[in-house]
Amino acid sequence: MTQNHNTECPAFIGRAYPALQSNRVEATLLSSVPLPSETADQDDLALSIIDEHGTVIATALLSHVTVDPPLGSTSRRITFPDGTLFETDEHQAVETLTGETHGSILHSLEQFRPRLMVLVVACIAAVWVLWRFGLDILVAAAIALTPPVVVAQIDRGTLSTIDFTMSEETLLEDAQQAKIQKIFKRLLSYLDEDDIGTSDFKLLFRSMPDVGPNAFALPNGTVVITDEFIEQFDDEDILASVLGHEIGHVIEKHGLRQTYRSLSIYVLVAFLAGETGPFIEDLLLEGNLIMSLAYSREHETSADHFGLHLAHDAGYDPNGLKKFFEWVTENAVEPPQWLSTHPSSTERVQEIDDFIKTLN
Amino acid sequence: MSENAIEKFKFTGNAKEWFGIWIVNLLLSIITIGIYSAWAKVRAKKYFSNHTYVSDRNFDYHATGKQILIGRLIVIGGYILFNIVLIAVPFLGLFLLLALIGLMPWLIVRSMMFNARMTSFSNVRFNFVGTVGKAFLVFFIYPILTALTAYTTAPFLSRAVRKFSINNHRLGTAEFHFDGPIGPFYKAFLVAIAWVVIVGGLGMLATGFNILELAYAMDNLETDPSTAGSIIGMFYLLLFVAVLPAAMIYFAMIRNTVYNATTLTGGHKFNSTVSAGKMLWIALSSFVVVVCTLGLMIPWAQVRMSKYLAENTDLIPGGSLDDFIGTQQAEASALGDAFTDLEGIDVGLPV
Repeated sequence: MTQNHNTECPAFIGRAYPALQSNRVEATLLSSVPLPSETADQDDLALSIIDEHGTVIATALLSHVTVDPPLGSTSRRITFPDGTLFETDEHQAVETLTGETHGSILHSLEQFRPRLMVLVVACIAAVWVLWRFGLDILVAAAIALTPPVVVAQIDRGTLSTIDFTMSEETLLEDAQQAKIQKIFKRLLSYLDEDDIGTSDFKLLFRSMPDVGPNAFALPNGTVVITDEFIEQFDDEDILASVLGHEIGHVIEKHGLRQTYRSLSIYVLVAFLAGETGPFIEDLLLEGNLIMSLAYSREHETSADHFGLHLAHDAGYDPNGLKKFFEWVTENAVEPPQWLSTHPSSTERVQEIDDFIKTLN
Repeated sequence: MSENAIEKFKFTGNAKEWFGIWIVNLLLSIITIGIYSAWAKVRAKKYFSNHTYVSDRNFDYHATGKQILIGRLIVIGGYILFNIVLIAVPFLGLFLLLALIGLMPWLIVRSMMFNARMTSFSNVRFNFVGTVGKAFLVFFIYPILTALTAYTTAPFLSRAVRKFSINNHRLGTAEFHFDGPIGPFYKAFLVAIAWVVIVGGLGMLATGFNILELAYAMDNLETDPSTAGSIIGMFYLLLFVAVLPAAMIYFAMIRNTVYNATTLTGGHKFNSTVSAGKMLWIALSSFVVVVCTLGLMIPWAQVRMSKYLAENTDLIPGGSLDDFIGTQQAEASALGDAFTDLEGIDVGLPV
């Protein structure tokens, strides 16, 4: 609050409405130094609204009224404790009355001046930073807040959905299963204890004729490999590097990251779009879909690296993964959906070659 | 005040001023990871309300950023929880989905109530008194019935939604009332359908576009991105020329019909004179400008549309506008409002 007692007390014209009524009267707002009996605060002012006939409609201390913050050139509104509303276009006078407030700082920031260009640039920069780092922070916080029990339940829930919709019991013999479990165990023994955290790794076998040769990981460490995969690739090196890749997804929490990331983007766009209009909102969401594919491909490459490292550490030949992707390229059995969320196989073979060089 | 003279609505905002507020809203919303968006919403709604005048009286918006933020946090929490449960416990998720469908009419009604109570005209607050039961009929049962008639009864649904919204709105103690024949709704519906069929059909003939190609292109997004891209681009272009103008035509015709058949206690009437062609021109030219300026002209486009709509809206007062009496209202929570914001459901009062 500014020092009002040595400046002239402002008086300004406007319109007044009694509480809960649309009845509008031309009115004047007067201010005066309050009597010492009214307040102990020397800076306070006594306000009164008088109508055209000089009748006092309402009185109150400045500290008891609500002054709406300035907003562009819209009329200023002052609400008295009894509900009487005073409305005026004398912006300067209201400003002297209230002094500098949070609202007036915001208001001055919003003025249409060349300075606003800086804000435009800052806005674009902020979008980029939010996209590049802000989302990751949000996602990391959400992951940290997710109780391990929930992650374990996600594994059970997803697995039951898969079993219900597309998988059948494995037809593999026990000996063959045991052999692959051994590879899996061996890989796990080369993991960092800290990396494992609360994850509960287990390898499951399922027959999925419609899916074909494939393997996937659930967030809490459940890794599923199809019978079709094992029939096609009964090669320890291939199995080790593919299992390593899936373990990489779990350790790096790719599943949860993608879920939280798309949720946060949806929420952010939905609430910020109030500022853009519905059509632009659609564009943003479509754009996000394409961007999330890129994000998913990034995860695949990262899991490739992890798997290669792990397989290498555990004494397997990292070229196994390469053999697998070479087979995929040759047989061109890649389903479209796999294509959009995963990098192309030729690209991956190239990446793997580059990576193997760094291992040695 | 002269009685029965037509009072024109007027929007006094201007693009420069709104741009300043808009860009600050956006910047602060982004750097606070969305938290400020609650306050930004209040500033935006207040700006457009305050600048809308009729008979020298304006509207106001009274919600606080804190209220909106709390509503949004609860809804986001629920939304995340819902999505997690859907993955983690799929069967429970199915029940939750049903529960949410049951909850939606309640949320929509709460949202309409919140928006009405937080808006005032000439110092008197609006109110909304629609019941959840009626909302369930209008937003769930009627759409199912409409679908069963292969959408031939869509105009009835359209009218029912507007009746539900308008007849349950109050300005203080004054009641809004809308009732009109179904004819104009069918007319608007048929004109819009005709546009989609004729323009869409001509467009498909001219470009040799077909849906199968689009489906194929979507599946081959990565192997053949350039062909896929051009087919998808074509799809959006067709959508743009066939569907959006139809929506605009429908909106304009329905708006005129509805306003002209709406009254407010006290003998007040409304009139709307928007033209579909003019609306279409404004929307399309604004869209081109907005895209070319990477969104920076959005505030200009919003002000332009608000000005046009206000200029083409009249109030025909049946008496003094000094006589509206407000009612004491309980505070409404912003929960429903946050939900409709998230889902992009428009429940605002069409001014």
